[in-house]
Amino acid sequence: MSTEGIVFEIKRFAVHDGPGIRTTLFLKGCPLRCLWCHNPESISPHPQLAYYAHKCINCGECVSVCPEHAHAISLEKLHYFERRKCRSCGKCETACLGNALQLYGMRMTVQETLNAALEDRDFFGDDGGVTLSGGEPLLQADFCFEILTALKRQAIHTALDTCGQVKWKTMSMILNCTDIFLFDFKAANPQKHHKLTGSDNRQILENLQKLSDAGAEIEIRMPLIPALNDSDEDIHEAGKILSNLHIKSIKILPYHNMARSKYDALGMANKIPASSSQDNVNSLHAVEILRNYGLEIN
Amino acid sequence: MLSEQFKKDRPYLERKFKTQICNPATGLDNETLKSNLIRLTEELNGEPHELIKAKAFRYVCENLVIDVNPQDFFVCFGCWNRYDRPLSFLMSKWEDEVNKNCLKELKTLEEQNASGSSKMWKDFDHSVPDWEAVLSLGFPGLLERVKTYRRKCEADGKMGLDEKAYYEGLEITYAAILKMLDRFHLYALEHSDGNQRVKAVAACLDSLRKGAPSNIFEALQLIYLFFIFGEHIDRFQVRSLGNLDRMLYPYFQHDIAEGRYTEKEIRDFFAYFMMQWASIDNYWGHPFYFGGSKANGETEINDLSYLILDVYDQLDIPTPKLQIKIAANTPVKFIDKALDMIRRGHSSIVFLSENAIRRALLGQGCTEEEARTCVISGCYEFIPQGRGNGTCAGHINMLKPIELLFHNGRDPKTGISCGIKTGELSEFKTFDEFYKAYIQQLEHIIESVLKCANDFEKYLHRINPAQVYSGTIENSLKTAKDAFHNGSVYNISGILNAGFANAVDALMVIKDFVFEKHEVNLAEFRDILQANWQGHEKLRLKILNSKNKFGNGIESVDSFAEGLALFLANKINMRPNSRNGFFAASMHSARQFIELGEKTGASPDGRLAGEEISKNASPVMGMDKNGVTALIKSVTKIDSALFPGDFPLDVMMHPATVQGNEGLNAMRSLLKTYMDKHGIAIHFNIFDANVLLDAQKHPEKYEGLQVRVCGWNVRFNDIAKREQDEYIKRALSIKE
Ligand code: SF4
Ligand code: SF4
Repeated sequence: MSTEGIVFEIKRFAVHDGPGIRTTLFLKGCPLRCLWCHNPESISPHPQLAYYAHKCINCGECVSVCPEHAHAISLEKLHYFERRKCRSCGKCETACLGNALQLYGMRMTVQETLNAALEDRDFFGDDGGVTLSGGEPLLQADFCFEILTALKRQAIHTALDTCGQVKWKTMSMILNCTDIFLFDFKAANPQKHHKLTGSDNRQILENLQKLSDAGAEIEIRMPLIPALNDSDEDIHEAGKILSNLHIKSIKILPYHNMARSKYDALGMANKIPASSSQDNVNSLHAVEILRNYGLEIN
Repeated sequence: MLSEQFKKDRPYLERKFKTQICNPATGLDNETLKSNLIRLTEELNGEPHELIKAKAFRYVCENLVIDVNPQDFFVCFGCWNRYDRPLSFLMSKWEDEVNKNCLKELKTLEEQNASGSSKMWKDFDHSVPDWEAVLSLGFPGLLERVKTYRRKCEADGKMGLDEKAYYEGLEITYAAILKMLDRFHLYALEHSDGNQRVKAVAACLDSLRKGAPSNIFEALQLIYLFFIFGEHIDRFQVRSLGNLDRMLYPYFQHDIAEGRYTEKEIRDFFAYFMMQWASIDNYWGHPFYFGGSKANGETEINDLSYLILDVYDQLDIPTPKLQIKIAANTPVKFIDKALDMIRRGHSSIVFLSENAIRRALLGQGCTEEEARTCVISGCYEFIPQGRGNGTCAGHINMLKPIELLFHNGRDPKTGISCGIKTGELSEFKTFDEFYKAYIQQLEHIIESVLKCANDFEKYLHRINPAQVYSGTIENSLKTAKDAFHNGSVYNISGILNAGFANAVDALMVIKDFVFEKHEVNLAEFRDILQANWQGHEKLRLKILNSKNKFGNGIESVDSFAEGLALFLANKINMRPNSRNGFFAASMHSARQFIELGEKTGASPDGRLAGEEISKNASPVMGMDKNGVTALIKSVTKIDSALFPGDFPLDVMMHPATVQGNEGLNAMRSLLKTYMDKHGIAIHFNIFDANVLLDAQKHPEKYEGLQVRVCGWNVRFNDIAKREQDEYIKRALSIKE
């Protein structure tokens, strides 16, 4: 229970992360680098300070609390942030009057995390529960394992949202204490997968196959990114692979580019594609193709 | 789907209560009618009010212009304007007389109201007729029953002058109603011009003037007629159209079985029926309710419930509004349909927990049966059917005691000393001392309100004898007492409040910033608030960002809130009122979260002077930062049974959260958990700031878009820019 992990968000009343009303724990760190990543704050395994410039009211409270002198107010009374000095201690986040600073990543013990996750226990009902998500939660495998087993011992429904890019032994370790896997599927073609995410999908498909063979409950999550992985060919290839597995359902995640401001706030370059009004139509089309493979679409 | 004929008639229906459309040849124009009424009632001066009013009522029935229009299934009365009713002048006149001659606490009342410590008025607007009696007896049967009780009173040797006036008033009133039905009937016969619909209306009226309704169309016509007689002519006596699905189901089954009407025709009746209230368009919405359980434990939801709900869905109107009593047996399919309507933002629906209501009513001495069959009225009030009369006698401003405390009992804006002297600020050395003084100020307001309410509520029946309403209430007939007065078995005076969450937050801020962190002392705080935070924006932001706010599931704050709620409830509940009944505390705020807010200066929780204060059991707008589950945890820490007047919660969510099946399931689970934790009423505002902003720019694209105010919805396009901005501000703070 004293194992620590780095959590960047605890979302209560999470409705779209598995069945029922859930609390989702977002863990930091991810092995993939998807071009369209919606959660740039999840990529690095370390805590990071985000600075939302548009919210800053130049009050200067951050300047007085920062031990590293990473904040300054100019002669024109404007606020400056020097990211390279920041050690992510979080002091300025608490002091900020404009809610312009947010620290992504808190160090928490298993016990603290469980306490937070179970705040809403009364709301879980018969089908809800706790979801571990990220980043890739299994990068913090021991932390996940302890949380999931503790939850199962209290008969709480558990879900793991994974990109699949971990060693099989890491995944098999949590198999018994995970009720449903929310498994990302980004591209069927290995080269394409590499182009889009920085890694091929060999390990991912292997893990998926093994989970399926083990009889795990699996929901596939397919982000559809305009012009990157939404061609008919892409979808047909996915359909072929998935129809040979035991998949409970597939969820299509239509693309949005609302994460842009987060990239700016974290001082990260964003390469995420623009969205278009066509996106919804494309996802409907994809649903149609997948249904023809006999797959259940959520 | 709505019928083509309905769509053609809809413009007429929308106009019906917005402009005079009756045939002028059928009676007197409203101005002449009113001046004749003034003359008539002056001639009657000196007679008991019951008789004066009954005779004036009769005069209206005999002389009001009328119409039976082929574009409608329901008749048309000439008193169409909701503000300007023929007998309003009598109420005003008698209220002035009562104020001048009878009230002992008028000065206190005026001072309390002016300072915004509380808001009190003589409330007639929350009574519901015994619909069972209305439907089973019809107008002729109701009149007969009055006569029977009159004879009984005589036989028992109990007939005094008051009793005589009471019965006579009722007889004149109900005889006048029957006479007016004759007028409608005759007019329909003479003007049908072969029109099938007008002929059908004539047949319906013929049946209603002879007895009780025998089919669903007659039952609906009767409810509508009763409403106009009780609410528009006799004034404020029909605060709910009743448990429509349950009451009307037997007629529905019978009509379908006999082949009298098809389902399609019945859908049409309901569309025209509901459009009457859509056209009247009272901003607070006129309610009807569904659901609950039968004595055998089965749900009251039936085929007709689905039918009416579906018609309501198609109509896209904020009034009438719908309340749904939920029990464990309520079908999921039905709840889901209602939830789906809510998340689309085009229907005014609130959910109430049958079990939580039961706890609250049993706590007031009601029986299981009375609790199970209770009426839902107003926004979400509940009261035993046919046996209870409720008023909303006063609203307490929970934030005002703090302002009074800072100024030693004096309201700084008006200079009125409506509080008590709790001492100089320098005398408060600890938070406990400060809180004790807050409680003293609060108690003083509560006592003033109860005293004033007891003073003016003695005269409700003198100001507005409720003859149409009393005629349906058996206990009133038995006791020969007006049902507004003490003619009901349960005569309950509700004491509402607004700003509960503001008070909790403000007190927490005083505790943290003054007595713990010593960032500011009380005298400085007083000056800062007097200056409406000017020059202290940093402190204000710090306070707004501080964590200890009600509605976030924070144990220490919630326990504190619970303690305050207990005190409030305990000082009000079951105290005797002057109508042979008692007071009941309510966590409802009606419009007073706006009006009392306007009269309240800046407050320690960071609120600016004049801004609205929190409503219902809900947190301060935007201060519930931990989401809806934390909110429900906080609110349900307070036992709703302590607020038998009402215990509603407002929940705001982003449309993305509740989209799809998952979203619908989540809404339903939330509803269930709230009710498992004994929450009484809950309503949802599902909105997206971007949509509201767009609606502000392009109102034409969002004609049907509604937002929920307190216990009612309004069309977003109909509210002032300032109020729209409040909603946008609120929507911006909702996380997906
Ligand atoms: S997180 Fe800590 S180190 Fe980084 S800017 Fe804020 S106060 Fe300074
Ligand atoms: S504390 Fe926040 S709002 Fe104030 S200057 Fe720093 S970043 Fe800006």
